[in-house]
Amino acid sequence: MFHFYLAVARTTFRRQVIYRWANLAGLITNIFFGSIFSYVIIALYHVRPLVSGYSVLDTLRYTWLIQSMIMVVTQFSWVELMLTIRTGDVVSDLSKPCDFCWYWFSRELGRALYFLVYRGIPTYIAGALIFGLGIPGSWRSWLAWGLVLPLSVLLGIAYRFLYNIAAFWLIEARSLTTLAGVIPLLFSGSYIPIPLLPLWLRSLINWLPFNGFLNLPVQAVLGKLTGEMLWFESGIQLGWLVILVCLARTLTRAATGRVVVQGG
Amino acid sequence: MFNSFAHDLSLYGRLILMQIRAQAQYKLNLTLDIFCSFTVTVLEFIAMLLFFIAFPNVLGWNIGEVALLTSIISLCFGLAEMAGAGVENFAETISHGEFDRVLLRPVNVVIQVIGSDFRLRRMGRILQGLLGFGVALYLLPGLQWTIGKFLALALGIASGMLIFIAILFLGATICFWTIEATELINSLYYGARTMLGYPMTIYNRGLQGLFLFVVPVAFGSYLPTCYILGKTLPFDLPQGVVFASPFAACAFALIAGLIWSFGVRHYQSSGS
Repeated sequence: MFHFYLAVARTTFRRQVIYRWANLAGLITNIFFGSIFSYVIIALYHVRPLVSGYSVLDTLRYTWLIQSMIMVVTQFSWVELMLTIRTGDVVSDLSKPCDFCWYWFSRELGRALYFLVYRGIPTYIAGALIFGLGIPGSWRSWLAWGLVLPLSVLLGIAYRFLYNIAAFWLIEARSLTTLAGVIPLLFSGSYIPIPLLPLWLRSLINWLPFNGFLNLPVQAVLGKLTGEMLWFESGIQLGWLVILVCLARTLTRAATGRVVVQGG
Repeated sequence: MFNSFAHDLSLYGRLILMQIRAQAQYKLNLTLDIFCSFTVTVLEFIAMLLFFIAFPNVLGWNIGEVALLTSIISLCFGLAEMAGAGVENFAETISHGEFDRVLLRPVNVVIQVIGSDFRLRRMGRILQGLLGFGVALYLLPGLQWTIGKFLALALGIASGMLIFIAILFLGATICFWTIEATELINSLYYGARTMLGYPMTIYNRGLQGLFLFVVPVAFGSYLPTCYILGKTLPFDLPQGVVFASPFAACAFALIAGLIWSFGVRHYQSSGS
């Protein structure tokens, strides 16, 4: 069965490769917004050299790492699964001889890998060239990133899966999915770098699942989060992953129990 | 000439009214949509305010001043987004072959395209702009209002809206040749909105010049805001320039219109 899921992931990866122009346009958008945020950060840092241990270079690196990983982990608004529910195509996926949840998880893992290679890395390289960022961290911090990243990607997938299957109950869930797509952007560091927030707000965000999306892996690369703190925060996120996946599976079971297909 | 203009205008009014009536049928959906888009834009606004906890100001602009600037651009953009939805969707109009039908009708093409959609749910961003404006006024208690400032604000918002719609028309023009490059114009459309949400002095002179003299969005938001706050204008422009915003907007819209009609003349149906 594992081979089947592997093949699903590989297929979505290959299918995504076809959209070259869309990816290029998306890449330009990522670079464009990364640059705007960088100008804002450079201007803000005129009045203060350091904010909670982050220099202007740290914050720029943080911003570009986030910008590189958005598409890998969360994506702005993902409605693919929701659309299959609306059109009824979901039935063909439900009748496949595999687990519905793991099927979508494999698909999205394939896409995440695609975005890491074709979107994430080029975005960071562009940022590094425009703003002279260099490569942050040490081999240790990159190792930590490599260990945290799968957790982040799975958290992102579980979250997206959850707000998409809301379509089993709601007919028009599109605007709700936009909202659901934006909330993690605020709490994961893409609207504003989390380290720039006051301490009370940061300690609150640490307990949210969104912290594991982008902020946690990026802080790990930058070497700002090491040792016990890193283990502790990764532990919280692992707990969230278990909760979200269990929730996704329970809701899927509840939803598929009441699917009525309109014949035609 | 005047007659046909009046006729077009009344037709546009009817088209929009029809859209509004249709969308108002689904009250729960509409309320939910407006609520969601309001929340999404408010979250963006809050994120912007949060920067000012760590930093007292950005190149001399304090939190209230930036809030004023951001809410004015939100109003320009929100109005354009609501009225220009039909232009925004133009790639679909082309790919469905709908534009052939538009050309066959004995009615102004622009009126048909812009009248084909009107998104009430985009009210969310306009509400956010109004809320942001209120927050800005609260944060700027010492601000003195004059008739000139009101005029600059009103002209600015109208001009900004017109410029954003003109950008959408430029994007729609690309669709006559390819519908795969729409994201490039999105960069300009959404990018201008995001960029001008911050004081323009944070960008280099090239970018400042771009948004003043090429795509003059700054006339809609940045210049009126500077005028209201009594700040010096970029490139040492005289203060009176803020009242020229309608001219800048109309000039840009005219050029966009010319490019658009060039596109219409070169439109080749897919023929299937």
